[in-house]
Amino acid sequence: MNRYFRELSVVGALVVVLVAMAIFAPAFFQPQPLLSLVTREAPTLVVACGMALVIISRQIDISVGSIFSVVSVCAGLLAARGWPLALVLPAAAGIGALLGVVNGILVAGLRLPSIVVTLATMVTLRQGLNLVRQGEFVNMPDAVQWFGLPQTNGQWLLVGAALALLVLLGVAMRHVSAGRFVYAVGTDAEAARLAGIRPQLVTLLVFVFLGALTGCAAMMNIVQSPQVQPLSGMGLELKVIAAIVVGGVAISGGRGNLWGAFAGLLLLACVAPALTHLHVEAYWEKAIQGGIILLAVVADGVRSRKGRR
Amino acid sequence: MKSLLRLALAAGLLLTGTLGASAAASSKLVVAFLPKSKGNAYFISCKAGAEKAAKELGVELLFDGPTDSNAAKQNEIVENWITLGVDVIAVAAENKEGISTALRKAQKAGIKVVTYDADSMPDSRSFFVNQATPEGIGHALMDDAARLLNGEGEFAIITASLTAANQREWQKHIEARLKEKYPKMKIVAVRPCDDLKDKAQSEATALMSANPNLKLIMAICSPGVPGAAEAVKQAGKTGKVKVIGLGLPNENKRYVHEGVTDTVILWNTGDLGYLTIYAGVALAKGELKPGAKSFKAGTLGTFAIAGDHILLGKPFAFNKGNIDQFNF
Repeated sequence: MNRYFRELSVVGALVVVLVAMAIFAPAFFQPQPLLSLVTREAPTLVVACGMALVIISRQIDISVGSIFSVVSVCAGLLAARGWPLALVLPAAAGIGALLGVVNGILVAGLRLPSIVVTLATMVTLRQGLNLVRQGEFVNMPDAVQWFGLPQTNGQWLLVGAALALLVLLGVAMRHVSAGRFVYAVGTDAEAARLAGIRPQLVTLLVFVFLGALTGCAAMMNIVQSPQVQPLSGMGLELKVIAAIVVGGVAISGGRGNLWGAFAGLLLLACVAPALTHLHVEAYWEKAIQGGIILLAVVADGVRSRKGRR
Repeated sequence: MKSLLRLALAAGLLLTGTLGASAAASSKLVVAFLPKSKGNAYFISCKAGAEKAAKELGVELLFDGPTDSNAAKQNEIVENWITLGVDVIAVAAENKEGISTALRKAQKAGIKVVTYDADSMPDSRSFFVNQATPEGIGHALMDDAARLLNGEGEFAIITASLTAANQREWQKHIEARLKEKYPKMKIVAVRPCDDLKDKAQSEATALMSANPNLKLIMAICSPGVPGAAEAVKQAGKTGKVKVIGLGLPNENKRYVHEGVTDTVILWNTGDLGYLTIYAGVALAKGELKPGAKSFKAGTLGTFAIAGDHILLGKPFAFNKGNIDQFNF
């Protein structure tokens, strides 16, 4: 119980919000709009899974929003050229992974601080994309939407895929040695090295993995509408990192898990539609999200001070 | 010597792909038309109107611009045109202050300068051809919403951000018009989409489920219009919840044809180019002088002038009938 207190408190907050919505605005739970809203968050969850690994290994990647945009546009253009989706999907994951390799080599190979490296790649990729596209949308053939499935099936497929990834990774992080290596490197890279783990390799791989997942997430996003906006994914990094921090993953590495990150994501994603349903002015949205993040950070701070005593 | 230089310059410009530069030496008036970016579909559609005007007026039109939106490159092109000795320069400024020095230099060299789409500093040009006033946009949107709902019912606004100056300005005029003319209509919510189509889609989805009597969504930022339309379509509420907004034709064509989006408001870019050329040429011929109150531009008729702004007038409504004529 105590061990998962942090995660459970987020789940508790989420339950409180949902119960409040059930009482004050039951229309929130209409199945069709709710499924649509949940589907819109599926790509975010996929990126969050990858980001959690990076943060647990004591790194950070703030270029995911830009990677997401670049892959979205590339995949959109390939789909518009008539590539079958069975090829576009691996291409998207591949481009994402390749951009992850760049980040990973700069961080792990040259031992540069990841926040600076990914800040640089974030800006470079974003501006490069602006230069090439000048904001112009990519129009795709109708068959791309929902992978050609009926809308509801497509939505369930995306949600199911994101949840399956979460469960697989969540279990693997605890029960597969590669997952435990990530924790070990994030806790103490030197100790991990002495134990026979190669910290730089682990670091490289988590960046590549995050890149590949971001590519998949971009694909999961562009099939939800017939057009790609080159700006899509702007601010994604903040959304994802916030969810992870709220979910109890320590920004200093080594601690936390994917279940917490998942709960944090749901809690933050609830805020905007909940306010719309409660007819509260939109000004509150970012303030409340900020408050939740602050509360989580303070809770972690208090806990780690107690831990040291 | 000077004409040799001109010839050399003209040859150079021809080599780099600029058309008609040699005309600088002929007796025709030469009007140079500078977009923010020459590959951008929006400016290409402005150019179509400019070409039409140039043909009617019998003037030579030069069209050049940066390949990307590059303020420094704009200065370079203006400098070239000054050396070339064109008669009129029409500019859509990428950087308001940045271009002004070059434009002042052009004025000193006797070249008439007008701006369109995006203004430079007022002392660096004679007139700004203003494509739309905030009041015009606000009223056009509100009037169109009222037309679609027969002046009665609830609607919601999707904006870019709650603090952006231009968005607040438009919203202010929408609300004023509502209060003045449509007492039976009501704005039930204003939601920001951060200029993201994806977020607009989520916001519109929540707006519809939270407001069962919602009749219309009005998006006042361009990515918001297709975002809202996609949400309405996915909710199966096509026709029940109408979509209008301020946006670009190409981003909305499919939804307009599917009957999800009724009207997209913007200005007629072709007319903007046409009016700009007419104003520039009239300026060069001395027919248009500072202080004028109105101005007649060829087949488009007479336009009002407020101060040193020539007003393109009411915004243009793109709908099922005309949207395919525009490609930007």
